[in-house]
Amino acid sequence: MKLLKKDLRLACSPLTPLFLLFACMTLIPRYPILVGAFFICLGIFYSYQAAREGGDILFTVLLPIRKRDAVRSKYLFTAAFQLIGFAVMVILTVLRLTVLRGGVYADNPLLAANFTFLAFALLIFLEFNVIFVGGFFKTAYYYGKPFVAFAVVAFLTVGVAETLPHLPGLAFLGGVEGPELLSQLPLLIVAVIGYFFGTLTACRASERRFEKLDL
Amino acid sequence: MSEVLTVRGLCKTYPAFRLEDVSFSVAPGSITGFIGRNGAGKTTTLKSLLNLVHPDAGELRFFGLDPAEREYEIRQRVGYAGGTNLYYPKKKLGEIAAVTAGFYRSWDAAAWRDCLTRFALDPDKRLEALSEGMKVKFNLALALSHRAELLILDEPTSGLDPVSRDELLELFLDLAREGVSLLFSTHIISDLEKCADSIVYIQNGKILFSGALDAFAESYLLYEGPVTDSQRAAARGVCRSRKGESLLLRRADAGLFPAGGLRAPGLEEIMTHLEREGDEK
Repeated sequence: MKLLKKDLRLACSPLTPLFLLFACMTLIPRYPILVGAFFICLGIFYSYQAAREGGDILFTVLLPIRKRDAVRSKYLFTAAFQLIGFAVMVILTVLRLTVLRGGVYADNPLLAANFTFLAFALLIFLEFNVIFVGGFFKTAYYYGKPFVAFAVVAFLTVGVAETLPHLPGLAFLGGVEGPELLSQLPLLIVAVIGYFFGTLTACRASERRFEKLDL
Repeated sequence: MSEVLTVRGLCKTYPAFRLEDVSFSVAPGSITGFIGRNGAGKTTTLKSLLNLVHPDAGELRFFGLDPAEREYEIRQRVGYAGGTNLYYPKKKLGEIAAVTAGFYRSWDAAAWRDCLTRFALDPDKRLEALSEGMKVKFNLALALSHRAELLILDEPTSGLDPVSRDELLELFLDLAREGVSLLFSTHIISDLEKCADSIVYIQNGKILFSGALDAFAESYLLYEGPVTDSQRAAARGVCRSRKGESLLLRRADAGLFPAGGLRAPGLEEIMTHLEREGDEK
């Protein structure tokens, strides 16, 4: 936790908490709201950029800690912001499914705020943790290519998520009615489990790579 | 008391560079200058000491402890400052120190306040607002506040003006008097003349000399005058100047040269001659 505190006080870009506001894109009607998840990751990316420019990795590994703890704290920092953003998305999704139901949200050709949306948001967060953070810790210095790779995959994911409900037999993925939401629930559960185990696996792999890295 | 740092047979191979069998030690309360020209292997060696680079072979002992087993304890007792490293330039000194304090069980808030006064550091200033010399002092202040017994400094004087450099070197002398051991890399020879007790001289990844500074300086003579081929063959390095050639030779080879042309060389002359010889090889 000391390292997380250090990341928050010294290495966190002000854009990272600010970009959590993109979780509110969940409320935009007739909009590909999944890009909100991408923007939250972009906000976190700015902290990696600030950390690199601020010599954060070198400063951290020179502290009396285990080298792999530097990686673990970065994953913790990343997941903390993602989960705050996700919590906001969950609250706003529930609002759209209940008190804000109908109105401007009634006629929506794009993916609705539902469990499918939340599942794909978690998938985008996981992609960030695997592709970007994992890629960053291959060198602990270069972040450009891993971020471009993540951005490409994230936008493909948005495309897939927007397409799936239009495919035969998968219309329930875009629905907001009770039975449809119930059918989407397994997808969300798989996404939650996948996010936690995927992030943990990516963290362990990054720790191993980072231990071997010459800085 | 045993050595605060012992390095034995350190090796590291890169595609274009090899660190070969690097061995030296640092005595308690001493100032050891780690010298060599740019690219000789100083930073790689220091990074190996700090576990930032993984050596292919070699043995390290800090305060007699094996870093593979006691890294946490060793890190508590060792401070590092790089002359060119700048951490969190937008952050205030006080904030960086407050965060750093949480990691050291021996952090002494009174020592931190003393360092602020001693080095005239303003905790409300941002790091980027400091001069190069003050940045090094800030790094030293952090290290001294957690009661570091060994300071490893990578080119702490590079980029400093002569007055700031002199001031910093005097500070090193004060710290050594207080019992702190210092190992600092430099390619500025006058730094050593000012404060080092001993030197470790690295050339092309190999240790050329490790020991007392005076013993190193006294082991060479400089000859200026006409030379024969056999005299040239005995030389450890040859440099040319407007006045003609100068030859660096071992004191033991002095008999080969006319006494009138011999004199004691300065450290810079020794290093220049040795490096020129290294280039030719």
